[in-house]
Amino acid sequence: MASSQPLTSSVQPTDVYGGDEVSAIILDPGYSSVRAGFAGEDAPKSFISSYYGFHNDRQIFGDDDTHNPLPGMEIRNPMSKDGVVEDWDVAKSLWHYSITSRLVPMKQTDPRTNGLNDDTKDMDVEMEGTEEEEKPLEEHPLLMTETAWNPSKNREKSIEIAMEEWGCPAFWLQRNSVLAAFAAGKATALVVDVGATITSVVCIHDGLILKKSIQKSPLAGNWVSSQIRALWNTSEPKIDLIPHFMIAAKTPVDAGAPAQATYQKFENITDSFRTREEERVLTEFKESVVQVWPGPGRLSSPNPAGTTNVDYVKAQPGRVFEFPNGANQMWNVERMNVVEGLWDEKAAIPIPGEPAVTKGQTIPEMIKASVNAVDMDLRAALLQNVVVTGGTTLINGFTDRLNQELLNMYPGTRIKINAAGLTTERRFGSWIGGSILGSLGTFHQMWISKKEYEEFGAGVVEKRCK
Amino acid sequence: MSQSGVDVSPECVSTFNELKLNKKIKFIIFKLTDDYKEIVVEEASENGDWDYFREKLLNAESKSKNGKVGKGPRYAVYDFNYDLASGEGTRSKITFIAWSPDDAGIQPKMVYASSKDALKRSLNGLATEFQANDTDDIEYQSVLAKVSKGLA
Ligand SMILES: Nc1ncnc2c1ncn2[C@@H]1O[C@H](COP(=O)(O)OP(=O)(O)OP(=O)(O)O)[C@@H](O)[C@H]1O
Ligand SMILES: [Mg+2]
Repeated sequence: MASSQPLTSSVQPTDVYGGDEVSAIILDPGYSSVRAGFAGEDAPKSFISSYYGFHNDRQIFGDDDTHNPLPGMEIRNPMSKDGVVEDWDVAKSLWHYSITSRLVPMKQTDPRTNGLNDDTKDMDVEMEGTEEEEKPLEEHPLLMTETAWNPSKNREKSIEIAMEEWGCPAFWLQRNSVLAAFAAGKATALVVDVGATITSVVCIHDGLILKKSIQKSPLAGNWVSSQIRALWNTSEPKIDLIPHFMIAAKTPVDAGAPAQATYQKFENITDSFRTREEERVLTEFKESVVQVWPGPGRLSSPNPAGTTNVDYVKAQPGRVFEFPNGANQMWNVERMNVVEGLWDEKAAIPIPGEPAVTKGQTIPEMIKASVNAVDMDLRAALLQNVVVTGGTTLINGFTDRLNQELLNMYPGTRIKINAAGLTTERRFGSWIGGSILGSLGTFHQMWISKKEYEEFGAGVVEKRCK
Repeated sequence: MSQSGVDVSPECVSTFNELKLNKKIKFIIFKLTDDYKEIVVEEASENGDWDYFREKLLNAESKSKNGKVGKGPRYAVYDFNYDLASGEGTRSKITFIAWSPDDAGIQPKMVYASSKDALKRSLNGLATEFQANDTDDIEYQSVLAKVSKGLA
């Protein structure tokens, strides 16, 4: 009976992966979001928040449910502030969700087609084994991205999950900074990635990360949000940060006038939920109002007119921001103050209870330290191939300022910055790079196959994925 | 093998050795086949005029996934000769160039960048190399400065 069944792709010889028959899945996890999709596509089909809800011992994933003010629901994140996985059980479920909710259905292996060459006696055993197992990726090779500093035990854990729990026929790990450099057309590059929780600078030579050059700092998107929070806390009058979900109704008011809104009351809203909802408002401000002083010089520098750049900016038109409750206000030089600390530690707004920003954490100093850690002969090439990636680099003026800072730091040196003009390429550079690699016919030679994994164990990633 | 799994065809190496040994060939342009499987020789030329070579790179094309033809990346080797400013004679440097115009499609850029190491490693005797991404990067004067380390 079984032998008359046609071959399904799950039982075909494994060398078809990498061909056109089955698409690989590309998984690019970050602190703020998980990006997942099929190789060969232009953008990740699945884009979900890395924050999850924790309620009555249950994990809740996805944007709809985690933004729902459920009494007692905590909001957490499985990633560490260092941008690597901290809570594996949750990370695994989150990634599984990101894949199965948008890409492949959860499926059970059909025992009749599964035990193709087995005789009936063995088949009964098989059926018992397969019934409880859901291996969603049995047909899909998985390419995962990772940070340059991902520890080896995390790398091994990734392949274990892919192979043991998801049943992937093949696996590959690729550094996200290398993918971003490749996608910019460069095998040698200095990659500046400003994400949500971490900013990194990494030098890459001929497709390989130069370990000594890795620089990391917490001054990234979330830090900018906390700068905005500090700004609002110290505004006169202090700005109450009331998130969208608490607003029942609002009427438009003039700039600077008190809000005219009615508020909704909720029982037992956790601090972590409220903080994340506040974060949404801070993000709106960040994306629509905040701007980096583009240079030349720093915001506090004197300018040719005999004043400082601050005075210059103050004389320019500001930008209005409307809060969820309808109150709205004009923002002038303040919208630059909240990101000036990325470049100039003295300009950072102090955050109560947090250590002061150090010079070494600013982007220009990180680049300097990174470049100084590599061979002299390479430095000029790196400075001519600066690749900018990560969501926070989309803040207006970011690239101009970076250019000015580099010109200032390396006078007489040719500086060239590559920043993808398309927002999707800037935010999803690593994912897109993985998507192109994973769709290449020749890439089937790269994948670590299930057989290889079974033979050499999880340590094979260290050997194969450099 | 490269990080993309793309291979280097044997003629890449033999043509390079010819350039190196009998000095007739002045430059070689390498390209990826349209199916992105292999790196092959697109052209080996005895014309040593830099601008002639530069035009070739500027006019290079690649097909994107959806069949659209646009600017294309290439690899090249150029037998670069220059006089030392000190008057101490001439120098010859076999130079590897990874050409990837910023306005090429992301797919060809990705494949060329991730396949580069394979070609570079199979060519023994390169004196120097650089990446170039726009017309300025392959302007004769800027290349001369780069290749000669300012000594021309
Ligand atoms: N247009 C924009 N303007 C300003 N900031 C933005 C914009 N778009 C996204 N961001 C910010 O970029 C960050 C997300 O960037 P990205 O997706 O690169 O991070 P991630 O990879 O999830 O996190 P990490 O790299 O820290 O692990 C968030 O802080 C978000 O607020
Ligand atoms: Mg990131």
